[in-house]
Amino acid sequence: MTTPRQKMLERWTPALLLAPGLILFFGVIVFSAFRTFWISLHEWDGFGTAVYVGLANYRELWTDPQFWMSLKNNAIWLVVFLLAPPLGLAIALLVNQKIAGMRFAKSLFFMPLVLSLVTVGVIFSWFYDPTFGILAKIFGLFGAEAPALLSSERYVTFAVVFAGLWPQVAFCLVLFLAGLNNLDSEIIGAGRVDNARGWQMLRHVVLPQLKQVSFIAIAISMIGALRSFDIISVMTSGGPFGSSSVLAYQMYEESLFSYRYGYGAAIATVLFAIMLIFIVWYLANLLKNENGA
Amino acid sequence: MAHFTLTRRSFLATTAAASVSLSMPAIAQSRELVMISNRGNPGQRAALEKIAADFGQSAGVKVSVNNMDHEAHKTAIRNYLVASPPDICFWFSGERMRGFVERGLFADISDLVDREGWKKVVPSMSAVTVGGKQYGLPTSGTLWGLFYRQDTFDEHGLTPPETFEDLLTFGEKSKAKGLTPITIGTKNMWPASGLFDHFNLRINGLEFHQALMEGKVSYTDARVVKVMNTWAEAVNAGLFTQNATSYAWEQAAAALVQKRAGMMDLGLFIKQAFPKDELDQVRFQLFPTVDPSIGRFEDFSVDSIHIPSGAPHPEVAREFLAYFYQPDNLKAYIEPEGNVPARTDVDLTSDPLVAMATDALKQVDGTSQYYDRDTSPDVAQAGLKGFQEFMVHPDRVDRILPQIERARERAYGAL
Amino acid sequence: MYPKPIPPSHRTSRILYMTGVWAVLAIWLLPVAAIIMTSFRTFDDIMAGNYWGWPTKFNILENYAAIFQHTDMLVYFRNSLIITIPSVVLVLALSTMTGFVLSRHKFVGSTLLFAAFIAGNFMPYQVFMIPVRDLMVSLGLYDTYGALILFHVSFQLGFATLFMRNFIAALPGELFQAARAEGASPMQILRIIVVPLVRPALAALAILLFTFIWNDYFWAIVLTQTDAVKPVTAGLANLRGEWVSAWNVISAATLFVAIPPVLMFFLMQKHFVSGLTMGAVKG
Repeated sequence: MTTPRQKMLERWTPALLLAPGLILFFGVIVFSAFRTFWISLHEWDGFGTAVYVGLANYRELWTDPQFWMSLKNNAIWLVVFLLAPPLGLAIALLVNQKIAGMRFAKSLFFMPLVLSLVTVGVIFSWFYDPTFGILAKIFGLFGAEAPALLSSERYVTFAVVFAGLWPQVAFCLVLFLAGLNNLDSEIIGAGRVDNARGWQMLRHVVLPQLKQVSFIAIAISMIGALRSFDIISVMTSGGPFGSSSVLAYQMYEESLFSYRYGYGAAIATVLFAIMLIFIVWYLANLLKNENGA
Repeated sequence: MAHFTLTRRSFLATTAAASVSLSMPAIAQSRELVMISNRGNPGQRAALEKIAADFGQSAGVKVSVNNMDHEAHKTAIRNYLVASPPDICFWFSGERMRGFVERGLFADISDLVDREGWKKVVPSMSAVTVGGKQYGLPTSGTLWGLFYRQDTFDEHGLTPPETFEDLLTFGEKSKAKGLTPITIGTKNMWPASGLFDHFNLRINGLEFHQALMEGKVSYTDARVVKVMNTWAEAVNAGLFTQNATSYAWEQAAAALVQKRAGMMDLGLFIKQAFPKDELDQVRFQLFPTVDPSIGRFEDFSVDSIHIPSGAPHPEVAREFLAYFYQPDNLKAYIEPEGNVPARTDVDLTSDPLVAMATDALKQVDGTSQYYDRDTSPDVAQAGLKGFQEFMVHPDRVDRILPQIERARERAYGAL
Repeated sequence: MYPKPIPPSHRTSRILYMTGVWAVLAIWLLPVAAIIMTSFRTFDDIMAGNYWGWPTKFNILENYAAIFQHTDMLVYFRNSLIITIPSVVLVLALSTMTGFVLSRHKFVGSTLLFAAFIAGNFMPYQVFMIPVRDLMVSLGLYDTYGALILFHVSFQLGFATLFMRNFIAALPGELFQAARAEGASPMQILRIIVVPLVRPALAALAILLFTFIWNDYFWAIVLTQTDAVKPVTAGLANLRGEWVSAWNVISAATLFVAIPPVLMFFLMQKHFVSGLTMGAVKG
């Protein structure tokens, strides 16, 4: 029999469980997010006195050609990064076997995620180097001249995204490996009894069970696409002349190089507003799904 | 909850304000020196650590040197000068220093400079002077200009260009021999702005250049347009590397080392690109003149050492500066990097590149620092980007200049 | 298990399959191979643009030794462990709690709270620089392990809560109903049902968190300044110079720094066993 005191305690358990996480998250992150918005209403170099300018930073953003260029590039990143979940799933399916050496092989597949992005960026830019790059050497074999991808206003973003995609796939791989190991073997078994095979099995039996993981993988890839900046910084510095910049990099550039924290904060706020669309979409889908099931 | 361990330093920092009464004597007596270094050259870092250790031993001070990489330090200094300043830090002189001085973040060390009589032996003292007071000590500088290989020149019968016309002829000649006349990598943007400095200093002189850097002249001014036109002529003559935006300076320098290019516009650190046994072929030449009536003005970037005004041990810091700035110590510090020493009584001419630069400096009538060190960071960023674009699309000049001008107006106000 | 395991009796298929895996891996790891090769090269080779050819000279020992000669790598390494391990443990514990409550207890505003956690995730973290720095200064944590731990725990909670909530939500509801019918308290449910069942998720999350926190460099430079507390990524960056970077040594250091997360992944794999099947049989 439970005493009233115990009952009371039980009623409050969820709140107690939630409290530490909430306090930390709201105290540090949400608080800082609001301060960021507040900063975006100011003209500020990061340590002098901030001058309140209202929405001037946002108005400037609207007429800033670089902003629109970054936005366009973010869209490219987003589309290409959506390849990461399927690729990660494919590799996860490939390595989800118990064969001698597989554990080691899996660890190696995971490797791109742990390497310093600076080094990865340097290696990829050596890949594209028009004189010394491997691409140039391959083209050279056929007597052709390799395109200078990192100098091309049109292709530079694709060249950089490709490098960024590599660790992102490894990220999704980990998620799907965890997901594949959480499958309900009874349902899989039932599917096998029903003679479901190959694609059908994957499509109708496995994927529905991986829905939660896939949701996370897609969300994380989107976040990754919108948040990426370090690999851009190493490979192109946003160049040539801003044509490979994305919003996160532009924000970094404005705040840390140009010392325009207010403007940088405005970019961040806009970036956040764009992300809000995904958050709402994501939540709506998630809840619909759960309520449906 | 986690138990947060405080380090000694932050403990000092956080208690310093509150502990005026109790722990104060203990702290005052323990002589300490905290230094933050942004020096990347391993040899130089070792030299600095040795100087610091020797100082610590002779002065009875506990010295700690904290290392940061150069890029990160640019961000970090803005945090630590405000949050918890060390006793000694390294920075750039000129405009970048002025920003901190104006906010009262660097200590005035004029009395130390006067007492030691350093002004007599340090010609670049002006670079650390704001309003007649010194806020740091110049350590060394790098002179910018054109480097080439004597053997390449001999092989192709080339001579270093003296004037802009020479430069164009030089370009034709080297191209005929299958060389890139001037190799340049603009991926990191700054090399292009160095060319802007050269052309502006050659066409409009130092006074105008400084006015422009200080935001007193519009970027759409006819004199700036003239610079861009001359520069465009050089670009259109095919003087520079194709697809330069794909290369950092290292890859561009490789073309010079491998005899695929004629010259390169760079600082003394170019020597890092050469194998040791080929260094004897390297020659230096100041950038060609454009308008013969204008004096020889050059970019000479000076690095410096400072005491933050919030330094917890300012007295020890001053002692250290006096020790560090002794000719022998300064020499040991600069030698691994191979720059021109700030003190005239430090002789590094055993390094042939330093000797050439020291020699060339004698013809120089006045110096600026470098584009991104001379002007406000906001303008610098716009300029760096604009000049990178200009070297690919000189025809876009009508869009590029107003864009930089917008940044100038933002930083310095309307004219 | 899916895909269908290749039975141990089919030796040839197993060997063939593994060969295929290694072939894919060879392509996948091309950039890693390039980093390894770079870590063997001489500085002169790299300055000469010999990125992909055979090294003119193998400089293996010198390069790897240089990591430790040029920086206090071992100190940084220790600092990284001191920062990363408690952060990961704390995030795992806290996010299991928040994820559990948010997935299994409906209350007013629970969706909104969850949305806040996701939203925090989506912020480009660089913008937090000044507010977080100021916060740490005022808490007296600036330039301590505590500053980095506090920030990493708070920031990673967003992603971790999203992750754990979804995994816990995916557990069959009957388990929870049965437990409640038997009078189990929320604490008991969490301990006896949830934690064992989400073990693969916790293992995966631990790997990811460890990697993220271990690899962080941005916050290391914003929140710390003394070598005594700086993590290993700062040591890596220390190898870069103003004009010249010895990419051969940096590549060597990159591989060295990557060892703990890869090791972590290797070790954590044994927890990737289906917790659900074990629990479901009992339940």
